[in-house]
Amino acid sequence: MAAKSWRLLRQLPWYGLMLVAVFAIGLPLFWVATGSLKTTREIYTFPPVWLPQHPRWDNFSAAWHAAPFGRFYLNSIIVTLADTAAKLFFALTTAYALVFLNIRGRNLVFLFVLAALFVPVQVTLLPNYLTVGRLGWINTYFGLIVPMMPVAFGTFLFRQHFRTLSREVLDAAVIDGCGHWRLLWDVVLPMSRPVAVTVGLLALVGRWNDFLWPLVVTNTVEMRTLPVGITYLYQVEGVQNWGPIFAGTLFVMVPVLLVYIVAQRWIVSGITSGAVKG
Amino acid sequence: MVQREDHGMLRVQLTRRRLMAGLVGMSAATLLAACGQNQSASPTANAPAVQAATPTPAPATAASAATPSKTMAATGAPAVVTQTGSKVKVTYWGSFSGNLGEAEQEVVRRFNASQNDVEVTYQYQGSYEDTAQKLTQALAAKQTPDIVLLSDVWWFKFYLNDVLQPLNDFFAQAKIDLSDYVDPLINEGTRKGQVYWVPFARSTPLFYYNKAAWSEAGLPDRGPETWDEFLQWVPKLLKQDGGKTTRFAFAHPNAASYAAWVFQPVVWQWGGKYSDPDFTIHLQEQPAVEAGRFWQRSITEGWAVSSKDPNADFLNGVTAAMLASTGSLAGLEQSAKFPVGTAMLPKGPAGFGCCTGGSGLAILKGKPAEVQRAAFQYVAFATSPEMTTFWSQKTGYMPVRKSAAQSTAMQQYFQNHPNFKTAVDQLPKTRPQDAARVWIPNGDQIIGKGLERVTIQREDPQNVFNDVARTLTDAAKPVVEQLKRREG
Repeated sequence: MAAKSWRLLRQLPWYGLMLVAVFAIGLPLFWVATGSLKTTREIYTFPPVWLPQHPRWDNFSAAWHAAPFGRFYLNSIIVTLADTAAKLFFALTTAYALVFLNIRGRNLVFLFVLAALFVPVQVTLLPNYLTVGRLGWINTYFGLIVPMMPVAFGTFLFRQHFRTLSREVLDAAVIDGCGHWRLLWDVVLPMSRPVAVTVGLLALVGRWNDFLWPLVVTNTVEMRTLPVGITYLYQVEGVQNWGPIFAGTLFVMVPVLLVYIVAQRWIVSGITSGAVKG
Repeated sequence: MVQREDHGMLRVQLTRRRLMAGLVGMSAATLLAACGQNQSASPTANAPAVQAATPTPAPATAASAATPSKTMAATGAPAVVTQTGSKVKVTYWGSFSGNLGEAEQEVVRRFNASQNDVEVTYQYQGSYEDTAQKLTQALAAKQTPDIVLLSDVWWFKFYLNDVLQPLNDFFAQAKIDLSDYVDPLINEGTRKGQVYWVPFARSTPLFYYNKAAWSEAGLPDRGPETWDEFLQWVPKLLKQDGGKTTRFAFAHPNAASYAAWVFQPVVWQWGGKYSDPDFTIHLQEQPAVEAGRFWQRSITEGWAVSSKDPNADFLNGVTAAMLASTGSLAGLEQSAKFPVGTAMLPKGPAGFGCCTGGSGLAILKGKPAEVQRAAFQYVAFATSPEMTTFWSQKTGYMPVRKSAAQSTAMQQYFQNHPNFKTAVDQLPKTRPQDAARVWIPNGDQIIGKGLERVTIQREDPQNVFNDVARTLTDAAKPVVEQLKRREG
C-alpha cells in the first residue's frame, strides 16, 4: 500500500507536466472553438470571457457565405488525397528499391534523398514556380499537386523500417515465387502498416494545412484550398472580425482532428519505428 | 529452413525488359492524367486582338461612367451584339477580402456592367505583402496580371525595377484632369512628372477618443488642439487601481502594427523628418529626437501604454485615445461599447502634420496596347468621383478625388457620419510620407524596431536614432544606385 502511494507521489510531477502540455495544446483549440460562437466585442473583452454568453451560430454561416467554402473543401480534398496517394506510392517504391534491389550506388542515392530533407521549402518555391509556369500549370490542379509529390521524409522512414524486417519471411516469399510487386504489396506492406499510416498521415496533415504553395500557384477563387480560403475572411486594414475567422479556422481544423484521432494509435508506433534495432 | 544469403540481397531478377515495361506503364498513366487538366492557365493567354489603334475613351466623368460607353471598332462597324469572346480581358490582382473584398467586387461588377468592351476579373492574392511577393514571382515567370494593387511601402520597388507603366498619356487621352486627384495622394505616386501609382484605397492616421471616458473626465467633446493640451488632460483620463493603471490616456502601436507610420506625423509636428526624398536621413537630428523623447516620456510618465493591438486596447477601455488608420473607423464604431470620437491629429511645437497611407493601382508594363488601354479604363473608373464616393462610404478609406468630397451624396453622408467628415477634412492637410519609411526596403520595420527600443526598452532616443539612421543609410544604398540607373 505504502509502495503504491509512493509510486503515485513519484509520478505526480510527470502528471503535472502532462497537464501543462494538454493545456498548452488545448487552450488555443478551446479559444478558437468558443471564439467562433462569440461576438467581436466578447472576444476583445478583458478579462476574457471564457464561454460565450449568447452563442452566435451565425458566425459559421457568415464565414461559409463570405467565400465559396464548398469549393475550397473540394479543392483541398482533391489536392490532399492525390498528393498523399502519390507520396505513399513514391516513398514505398523508392524505399523498396533502396533496400531490396542490388543497385550500384544506392547509398549515394539515399544520401541525395536525405539531402533533400535539409532543403527548406522556401528555397524551392521560386524554381518550382518557374517550372510550373513554363509547363502552363499555374492555377491548375497539376500545379497544386505535382511539385509536392516527392517525399524524402517518407522514403527515409520506410527505408529504416524495411531494414528491420525479418529476412526469413521475405526469403520464404521469394522461394515461393513472389515477384517484386507481390513482395512489396503482399508481404512488405502488411508488415509496415504503422509506418505507412504515419507517412500517409504526415503527408495528409501537411498538405491539408499547407498555405504558401497553394497561395502562390493559384490565382482565382475557384482554385483556392481551405487554408488560403480562410484569408478571405481577413481584413487587410482595420478591425478584424474574429468570430467568422475562428469559425472558418474550425472548417480547416475539424476534419484533420478527426482523422488524427482515428489514426493516432498507429502514428506513435510509426514515428518511433526504426529507432530500435529489433 | 532457408539459407541466408550473405550479401543480404533478395535474388529476384529485375530484367531490363521488365524495367522498361514498368516505365512505359507509368508514363502512360501520367499522360492519361494530363488529358484531364484544365488549360486556361495563363491569364494573358489568347488575349483577343481587338480594335485597331483608336484609343477607347475611358469614362471621363462620373456621368459618362454611369451610361454605357459603347465604342465602335475602328472599322466603323457598330458594336451590336458583342460576343463575350471579343471583349478585352483584364486581370486585376488585389488584397481586399472580407467586407472590403465585397466592396471591391462591387466596383468591378459595376465596371463590367457599364460597357461592352472590357471585362475585368478581380483576383484576391492575400495581404499587401503576399500580393507584392506574388507579383515578384509572377514577373519572374512572365505570368503577370494587368492591374495590381500595391501598398504605400511596395509600389516603389516595382517602379525601380521598371515594370510599371507611366500613365500620363492615358490620362490625357481620356481627358481626365489630374489636378482633381487629392494632391498629396497623386503626388506620392508621381516620379519625374509621370504618374505610376494611382491612389485608390488611401487612409490617414486619425486621433480616436473614447467619448465616455472624456465625459467622465469632464473634458470638452473634442480632440486636443495640441499635445500640450492633451498633457493637461492626461491626469483626468488616467485610472489607477491599487497602484496599477487600469486605463491609460494613450496607446502606441508596436513595430508590427506600423509604429513608424503613426510616428511619421509626430516627427513632422516637432519640425523634423525621417529623410529627404534623396534618402538623406534626418531622423538622428534634433527635432526628430525631441519627438522621440516626447514619445518616450509618455511611457516613463506612465500615461501611455505600448500595445500589440491598439484597436483592441481602445475597444476594451485599456486606453482612452490612440492614433490609428481611418480604415479602422467602421470596425471600431461597430464593435465599441461606447461612442467613438475622432479628431484631427494634435499639433506639436512646429504646428500640424499628418501623413497618408494605404494602397493604389498600377498597370504592368509590356502588355499589348489594347490590354493596357482596357486596364486604364478600369483604373479611371475605380478612381472616378462617383466610384471613389461609393468605395469610401463602404470602407472608410478616403475619397481620392477633390470633386467627390464636394458632391451632394458625400455631403449628406457627412451629416450622418461626423467621424468620417473629420478624416476627409484632414485629408487636404496631409503630406506624402518620407522616403525612408516607404522607399527603403523594410524601412518601415527598421524605424518601427527603433521606436520599440525607445518606448519599451527606454533607451536614449539620440543613441537609438543614430543607430537607426546608420541602418537606414546602409539599406538605402542599393536603392539610390538603382534610382540613378532608373532616373539618371
